[in-house]
Amino acid sequence: MSNPFLSSASKPGHGTIHLALLPPNTPRLKTVSYQYPLKLISPSTFHVPDDESRLVHTVYLLSYGGGLVAGDTIDLNVILETNTRLVLLTQGSTKLFKAPSRDVLTKQCMTVDVAPTSALCYLPDPVQPFERSNFEQTQIYNIVPAEVGNESGNLCALDWVCNGRPANGENWSFFRYGSRNEIYISQPDGKRRLLLRDNVMLDDRGIEGSIAPRMDGQAVFGTLILFGPLMRSLGKFFMDEFICLPRIGGRKWDSGSDDGNGEEEVHPAVARRSTRQRLETSSGLLWSAASVRGCVVVKFTAPEVEIGKSWLRTMLLEEGSIRTMFGERAFLCLR
Amino acid sequence: MVTTLATSPASLHALLLLSDSALPLGSFAFSSGLESFLGHRKQPTAQQKSKAFNIFLDHSLENLASTALPYVLSAYHDPSVLQDLDNDVDASTPCTVARRASIAQGKALLTIWERALSAAATAEPAAEAVSAFAKAAKSSKPDASGLQLINGHFPPLFGAVARALGLAEQETCYLFLLNHAKAMLSAAVRASVMGPYQSQAVLASAALQEHINDLIRRYKGLRAGDAAVSVPAMDLWMGRHELLYSRIFNS
Repeated sequence: MSNPFLSSASKPGHGTIHLALLPPNTPRLKTVSYQYPLKLISPSTFHVPDDESRLVHTVYLLSYGGGLVAGDTIDLNVILETNTRLVLLTQGSTKLFKAPSRDVLTKQCMTVDVAPTSALCYLPDPVQPFERSNFEQTQIYNIVPAEVGNESGNLCALDWVCNGRPANGENWSFFRYGSRNEIYISQPDGKRRLLLRDNVMLDDRGIEGSIAPRMDGQAVFGTLILFGPLMRSLGKFFMDEFICLPRIGGRKWDSGSDDGNGEEEVHPAVARRSTRQRLETSSGLLWSAASVRGCVVVKFTAPEVEIGKSWLRTMLLEEGSIRTMFGERAFLCLR
Repeated sequence: MVTTLATSPASLHALLLLSDSALPLGSFAFSSGLESFLGHRKQPTAQQKSKAFNIFLDHSLENLASTALPYVLSAYHDPSVLQDLDNDVDASTPCTVARRASIAQGKALLTIWERALSAAATAEPAAEAVSAFAKAAKSSKPDASGLQLINGHFPPLFGAVARALGLAEQETCYLFLLNHAKAMLSAAVRASVMGPYQSQAVLASAALQEHINDLIRRYKGLRAGDAAVSVPAMDLWMGRHELLYSRIFNS
């Protein structure tokens, strides 16, 4: 039953996004409610260029002051009904301010129910934990399998963290940072089965500065999770590109001399690939992709946030399906 | 820290069996990312190479303790949930190479269990759970969505087998981590990072013992559901093992 009045979530930090489907086929934001320190903003909807009938909703996840202070707790529920598409974005990195002690934890929890044929695109800015911050976040995606056919829900979710404020001398100098991503599949018997868990916990164990040596000199680590039939093409793209990466320790017999020889016709995509690969090598970006349990999981790391950002944007734009399905706006945090 | 090991002759016997490098688990075929790690950085001198290795060994043990030890212990304490733990390890290992290595060694352990160890089992419920799991693993077929129901991952199986053979909790943890260190050091010798004596010196060192005990202390209480990656670069090195031009290891 739809509530005609503006709903108010009474608990601090709680929020709900409910993207419903009005019959016959009009998605509508039924609920967008939030409480301090969480703030949600939904700009106007738009149609994706290749399918005029398809409406995409966008919601920005914000916090007052642009970050989370010690002890803040965010608890967000997102519900996607069938045939809806949602782009979740942030405005700038999620800054985590310092905690007075290791006992004060800042928490963020997001639960997303993804109905069959719906799709979520969550490409936020990276989390930026300042010195002495203490943070844990959980992203749970509940996938309801389709009753008939294979049209389950779809998910493109990015989770990434950087080393803080390197300009201020910070380098993984927080107390604790934990991030967990879980995908569950609802079973017919009412239980849910864990499909994927990507859990990272960086804890300085009471010794300041003990995390940096574990981070291999890198400034950003990220995981991109792709699931569902609509993400199949993008997943395949990452897997194919991973296989095409130059072998490590192999001799580059073809390097040099023949470059710039106009005789050979190189497919533009192949040319872009080799440009990208050269850039990856020279900038120190490392990535890997794995196709497991129906998901494609891409992990990457780079010595600067901008390098990771621009690599991911290039990859997603090259394949193109995110732009086709969710529009340009989905890339806002990757600019 | 003093660790009390092997209280009964039977569990001492089992401990020695499981710690034997001749146990046909095939651990020698896996470098747990070491080969890839070395491939990613060119270490010009032998000294730098061995220094890099020591750091890698520490990180590898740390990551193993945070990701796998909770599963070893959960299966140790309740072997009846082996199948659920197997599913959860599989879900938590989104890295093709690490997954393959874990399943290969888990399957090998199941074979050893069925052909040799099960007859010597002392703890009935645990032994029954492992045997039932071994049986189910053979007939496991992918479900409707193509998901394998049973994979046979190593960490929970190791915990359950150790329990079935009467090992104590502390012994099981120590053995699990020490076996990993041994496999890594043996890989280091074959990858020409260090010589066999130097490798034994690392293995015998008080530093390694202290490190392992420290890891057990820190991660023993972690629930299997909270197992987490503590060295994120490890996943990347492991995953990128497939990109090496030449390989002598399977992981």
